[in-house]
Amino acid sequence: MDFDLTKEQSLIQKTAKEYAQTALAPRFDEWEEAHNVPLEIFSELGDLGLMGLPFPEQYGGSDAGFDGYVLAVEQICMANNAVGSAIIAHNLGMAIINAFGNEEQKMKFLPPAGRGEQVLSFAFTEPGTGSDPKQITCTAKKEGDYYILNGTKRFISNAQYPGTLGIVARDVDSDELGTFIVEKFCEGYSISERWEKIALNAQGLYDIYLKDCKVSTSDVLGNIGEGFFHLEAGIGYGKMGIACSAMAVAQQAYDAALEYAQQKLHRGKPITKFQAVQLLIAEMAEKIEACRLVLYKSAMIGNNSIKNPHLFAKYAALSKNFVSQNAVDVTRLAMELVASYGLMKDYKIERLYREAIVFPQVEGVPHMQQVILANYILAGI
Amino acid sequence: MKCIVALKQIPDLQQLRIRNREPVLNDIPYTLGAIDKNALELGVQLKEELDWEVVVISAGNEELEDTIKEALAGGADNSFLLIDNQIDQMDSAEIASLLAEMIRRSEDIGLAIFGEGSGDNYTGQVGSRVAEILGWPQAGYATSVSVDGSTAKVTRALDDCIEEVELDLPAVIIVSAGLNTPRIPSVMQILKAGKLPKEIITLDDLSLVSSANQIETVSNLAPIAERKQIKIGSVDELLNCLESAGVERR
Repeated sequence: MDFDLTKEQSLIQKTAKEYAQTALAPRFDEWEEAHNVPLEIFSELGDLGLMGLPFPEQYGGSDAGFDGYVLAVEQICMANNAVGSAIIAHNLGMAIINAFGNEEQKMKFLPPAGRGEQVLSFAFTEPGTGSDPKQITCTAKKEGDYYILNGTKRFISNAQYPGTLGIVARDVDSDELGTFIVEKFCEGYSISERWEKIALNAQGLYDIYLKDCKVSTSDVLGNIGEGFFHLEAGIGYGKMGIACSAMAVAQQAYDAALEYAQQKLHRGKPITKFQAVQLLIAEMAEKIEACRLVLYKSAMIGNNSIKNPHLFAKYAALSKNFVSQNAVDVTRLAMELVASYGLMKDYKIERLYREAIVFPQVEGVPHMQQVILANYILAGI
Repeated sequence: MKCIVALKQIPDLQQLRIRNREPVLNDIPYTLGAIDKNALELGVQLKEELDWEVVVISAGNEELEDTIKEALAGGADNSFLLIDNQIDQMDSAEIASLLAEMIRRSEDIGLAIFGEGSGDNYTGQVGSRVAEILGWPQAGYATSVSVDGSTAKVTRALDDCIEEVELDLPAVIIVSAGLNTPRIPSVMQILKAGKLPKEIITLDDLSLVSSANQIETVSNLAPIAERKQIKIGSVDELLNCLESAGVERR
């Protein structure tokens, strides 16, 4: 068993870290205030091969494997979790086209996404449903060579950027779900005001309104009837991305709390001399170590996600739930360690605590992940 | 025409831990020093301008083949490596004679570029020694370099002046820190680096008579960092303390 990264893996991690720490970290506050990450940032990420890491080079990806994706996204999230979240949603959009698109669709939609000229996303959630396919009300009506889409999608990432969006809608003739690749801002596509979130506001979240939005039949992904399957298969990318975001938050909270503990004096002694503080440090370290093992093992399983999609889906659910819940615990422990400083906006842990709470809530709440995990276990996977 | 860039693998200083004032080198991965990356970037810029070929040369232990992928990802075309675990015990004079011999084996060289000092021992000797052994002109403390035909124009930042010199090629250039901003390699470059051409030799292939190591390391201890425990009673006193410690007011 080898826990060391290969030279290539560590260099990918280094490239992501160097770029992210110099170009993304210093602008975190500016972009949070503006509620936006400028589009050109994604082009810069694309130039470095960081926008389509796990996908084949012929489709504009970097062929870096799912492990390369996880290592790089973790570093980007360490520097700026809003940018990381946008990349995660983008890769979910790319993953579904890469897995289920035909050759023409892959060549048409993926290369500009890999270059970062376009920022993709995927839209399943609606005002009336999070992940229940039976309640999808967005409709697609076939008229000649087109489908006409109508309906509303909720909490959609990257809806404000140019690029494509996979929209799951109900074909009114068959009453089955299909995935339709829509060019954002085509006729009939509009977006809401952005949602104000508890954290990571630079990563925009919008509702999408579709009013007689025309989609060519050549832009239907796979077959009508596969819409929920596309979500199930692709969402592993999203869940693993969320695990990276949560990992980054936990690591930063731990680092900040440890640095504080090593500098803070109590009656002339560093507080690290007190066992109560040592216990907090140890508990955070244990959780971080366990999270990273789960995350990286799941990343290696992700390398074979096409051959073994159920195993990947199982580990994506496990990883997302385990890491995101532990990240909340670690930031809470970090806050306990730094006491009142943790409440102050001048210190990093206040922000990390708000960010940590985001991750158990998105891409399926904790109990849903556990039900998915249990079902895979009981099915012998 | 070839541009040789000489690099040294060093322990990743960001991951270095100190125990009992001594560096703990176990399990610390190797990387390239910051000034070596400036040297590489200069080589790659000259390649882009002049259509030269960038060859990285290096001598080191068995980790070198892996470490040098970082330079290949950074824009070098191929590598010429001397790999032998004895190299870690060699001093600057021995390393210089090995690198000079490796350069002699290459043809059609325009420049050999070195960083002014390695990120670990920083003896600052190897580039100059190699130039002397080869009998090539050299320019150190280089802050900018341009090549025009068969000469190189080099700007040197010295303590009390900026000097501009011209050297006939082939020549050795020794660059200072901050000469340029090394590019960040893309993921695609990283993944292709291991497939670029390389030539690997051992000490036996060079058949040089090894001179005894003339340097004995007596101690290599980290400085003791202690809190100054200065007690202050007012903001003015704090400002005075900071000023006397060299912190400038903005």
